[in-house]
Amino acid sequence: MTHETPDRMNRRIAALAALAMGLQIIETAIPSPMPGIKPGLANVITLIALLSLGWRAALAVTLLRVVGASLVLGTVLSPAFWLSLVGGLAALGILAPLVRLYPRHLSALGLAVPAALAHTLGQFLLAWTLIIPHPQLLLLLPPLLLAALITGVVTGILSLSVLADPRIQRHVRPIPPTSPGSPISPG
Amino acid sequence: MTASAVAVLRRWRWGDALVLALAGVLVASSFALVYAPGWYRMGSFAPGAGPTHLVITQAGAASQMVPLTASRRLQVSGVAGITEIEIEPGRARCLRSPGRQGICEGAGWLERPGDIAVSLPNRLVLQVQGANPIFDSMHY
Repeated sequence: MTHETPDRMNRRIAALAALAMGLQIIETAIPSPMPGIKPGLANVITLIALLSLGWRAALAVTLLRVVGASLVLGTVLSPAFWLSLVGGLAALGILAPLVRLYPRHLSALGLAVPAALAHTLGQFLLAWTLIIPHPQLLLLLPPLLLAALITGVVTGILSLSVLADPRIQRHVRPIPPTSPGSPISPG
Repeated sequence: MTASAVAVLRRWRWGDALVLALAGVLVASSFALVYAPGWYRMGSFAPGAGPTHLVITQAGAASQMVPLTASRRLQVSGVAGITEIEIEPGRARCLRSPGRQGICEGAGWLERPGDIAVSLPNRLVLQVQGANPIFDSMHY
């Protein structure tokens, strides 16, 4: 998958980042039952970037999405921006070790759920320690985690279905286990 | 719809079930831990973060600071009657107050710095204070 020229790679990253930004911006129009609960459809794009282009591309897509979406939404450097950034980085942080189990032991579903939980947990810890340091904020955590579990399953199933598309398939890591020269290695 | 169902079934791995089970346990235990009785008493995790003083403020009089060290009861008389305050180490509450709606009593135990109980009929404000100034949240 990295018989890609840097140019083609950059274009793919830009395209995925644009998709992720679009999804994140559209999501803000969806009413939420509770602050902090949203579908997290950008999770699908992060997974696709990770599984088709590798670890660095997923990081680039996440950072571009966070910065780009907050530029459009007018939240640059506001709490929402930092929450978004920390959530995205936390999700990547848990994906980094877990992606080694793909595709032999885990499918995209098994990656999406921990990513969603880590996203919520990272955001919550930032909110709790810096933005709203109130002990009873902790009462919000279980429902948020439950929502993350559900949205993680949904985005995981969506990721599976997108990754099963033949047009995506040829870019995704092949089923045999990773070779030593695999580009997906934390680093 | 069917395409995604097929995709899920064909690509399912045993690790997915394990991950889902672990995630379920995590979520369930977060509910069990956070909503367990007695959680509220814990207040903040940091030792020494609890309140140290009760500040009693009544209209027309200087504020009084009462240390929250030993258990005791106080009576404050105001224009509507007597408000009875119960003090325990690290917390205080409005035990009885002349207000008919029970708002002062309804505030419950004041056990985090900044917690407040008010008796409007008696023009009385009870607030516990800790060693550090606190804030509830930040807004932009």
